[in-house]
Amino acid sequence: MSTVALQTHGLSKSFAVKRKAAGLSGSLRSLWHPQWEEKVAVKRIDLKVDRGERVAFLGPNGAGKSTTIKMLTGILHPTSGEAEVLGLTPWRERTKLAFRIGAVFGQKSQLWYHLPPIDTFDLISRIYELKRSEYLARRADLIDRFELGPYLDIPVRKLSLGERMRCEIAVSFLHRPQLLFLDEPTIGLDVVVKQRIRELVLEANRVEGTTVFLTSHDAGDMEELCSRAVVIHHGGILLDAPVDRLKREVLSRKIISLTLSSSFEAGTLPDLPGTELMESEGRRLKLAVDLKQTGIESVVSALIGKFRLDDMTVEDPPMEEIITHIYGSGG
Amino acid sequence: MIDRKMQSVLSLKSKKAGAVATITLRQQLAYKTDFIMRSTFLLLILFVFVQLWSSAYEGDRTRIIDGYTLKQIIWYLVFTEAITMGVPSLCSLIENEVKNGDIAIRLIRPISYVGYHYAAYLAEAVFRFFIHLAVGSIIAWTFVGPPSFGWGWAGLFSLTLGAISIAFLLNMVVALCAFWVEETRGMEFVLHKLQFTVGGMLLPLDLMPEWLQRICSWLPFQAMLYFPARTAVNYGSASLLQQAAIQAGWIAVLAVCTVMMYRKGVAKLHVNGG
Repeated sequence: MSTVALQTHGLSKSFAVKRKAAGLSGSLRSLWHPQWEEKVAVKRIDLKVDRGERVAFLGPNGAGKSTTIKMLTGILHPTSGEAEVLGLTPWRERTKLAFRIGAVFGQKSQLWYHLPPIDTFDLISRIYELKRSEYLARRADLIDRFELGPYLDIPVRKLSLGERMRCEIAVSFLHRPQLLFLDEPTIGLDVVVKQRIRELVLEANRVEGTTVFLTSHDAGDMEELCSRAVVIHHGGILLDAPVDRLKREVLSRKIISLTLSSSFEAGTLPDLPGTELMESEGRRLKLAVDLKQTGIESVVSALIGKFRLDDMTVEDPPMEEIITHIYGSGG
Repeated sequence: MIDRKMQSVLSLKSKKAGAVATITLRQQLAYKTDFIMRSTFLLLILFVFVQLWSSAYEGDRTRIIDGYTLKQIIWYLVFTEAITMGVPSLCSLIENEVKNGDIAIRLIRPISYVGYHYAAYLAEAVFRFFIHLAVGSIIAWTFVGPPSFGWGWAGLFSLTLGAISIAFLLNMVVALCAFWVEETRGMEFVLHKLQFTVGGMLLPLDLMPEWLQRICSWLPFQAMLYFPARTAVNYGSASLLQQAAIQAGWIAVLAVCTVMMYRKGVAKLHVNGG
C-alpha cells in the first residue's frame, strides 16, 4: 500500500465570473453584452500528503482552500493539473473514493434538520453499505467517544452549534474514512467546544491512523491539531512548513483584549518589553505581545496588578496578520 | 456468477434508495402546517372547479360532454390535482443546492446524485399524493358522489408511478440547468404551465380541439396527468398497456437526457461559498 494519501501536480481551478455595472442601466447592458472575467481560485498547486499526516491548509477568505478540498473530494473538476487521492482520481472516481474519505464542511450540515441525528446515522450506514452489526458497534463507539448520548434523539434544529458539530464529525467517522477533510470545522464555535473537537480529531488520527486535511483560518486549529502547515494565498502555495517552525517564527505573537472597569488613561500601561498597545477606546484596549520577549504570564500578572478588569481574552493573531507576517519574512 | 454480482449491486442500490425514501418520509411528517395549508388550498380550488363544471353541465348529472359525465370530470380533477400538488418543487431544491453550496454534501457520498433525488422525490410525491387524494375525495364525494370506478383504481395507481417518474425527469432536466445558469425558476414556470394545459390538469385532453390533441399526443406531458386520471374515470377508453408503454418510452428518453445533462453539468459545476 502506498504511503501517500494525496498528491497534486499543477492543480488549478478557474471560474468565469459575470461582471455587472451598478444600477438598472448596468443590468440592462449586461443582458445584451454580458462581460465575463476569469477568476483564478486555485493556481498550480503541488502538494503531497503522507498517510497518517495531519496537515493544516491555511489561508484567508477567498484564498482557494475550500475549492482545493472540493477538487480533492471529487466535487469540482479542475481546470488543469492532476490529483490522486488514495490512489484514485477524485473527479473521475468520485463514488469509489467517497467510500474511503470523509468530509465535514463547517458551514454546511449533513444532518437532517427536523430529525434527530440518529436518523442521519442510519441513512449514512446504508449509503456507505455498512453491515448492520458493524454499524451498530461503530455507532456505539462513536456515541461514547463523542459523548453524543444525550443528543441522539433530539431533532437537529434543537441542538446547539457545538452539539451539532460533534454529531457532524461523528457521522463523518462512521465508515472509518482513511482520509478526513475538515473544512472550517470549528467556525463559529466557542473555545471549549473548539478544544473538544480538536481532541476528538486528534484521537481518531492516533487510534485509527486517519489522515487529516484541515482548512481553517483559525490559527489555533493549526497549532493544536496539525503537525504541518501549508499556507495558500491568492490560490497559490505561500509556505509549506512544520507547525513547530511556524509557531517559533510566526505565531510568537498573542493578542490580549481587555475591558477595564474604568476608562483607560494613556501612559498608564505597564512598561513590558515586546508589549505594544494596538488600539484603545473608552474602557477597551487591545495589546500585542511578542512572546519571544515576554511570557504571557508576566504580561497578564502585570495587567491584573495595574488595572481592575471586567474581562480579558488572549487570542492568536488573525490569519490575515499571519499571512502578512509570512509575506514580510519572505515565506 | 455475473447475475449474482448484479443482483447484489441492485440490492445495495435499492437499500440505499429505500433509506433515502424512508428518511424523506420522516422529514415530511415534520411539515404539518405545510400540509394543512396545501390541503385547505386544494379544498378551495376543487370547490371552485365543482361550481364551474356544475354550471357547464347545467347541474345535469346524466349529461355527457366528450365522453365525460360531471362526476367523471370532478373526480378527474381530484386525481390530476393530487398528482400535481403531490410532486415537490425539484427546480427550487436543486437551484438552492447549487447556489448555497449544499450540493457538496450530496456529492461526497457514494450514491448517484440523480438517484438520490429520485428516491427522495418519489417518497415525497407518493406520500403527498395519497394525502391530497384523501382531501380531494371529500369535496368530490360530497358534491358528485362516491368514486365507483372499479378497475379504474388499478389503472390510476399503476400509471401514477410512471407519471411521477416522468414529472421527476422533466423537472430534473430543467433543474440541472442550474449547473449552467443562475436562475431556473422561469423555465420551471413554463414547464408547470405546460403541465397544467397540454398535460391535461385543468381539463381532459378529449375536450380540447382535435389539432391540439394531436400535438399533445407527441408530448410527454399527457403521460403525467392525463393518462392516470383518464384511466381512473374512464377505464378501458384506452389500452392500459399502451399508455404504460408510452410512459416507459418517455422515461427512457428523459432518463438519457438527464444523465447526459448531469455528466456535462457536473464537470462545469461551480460551488458557491468557497
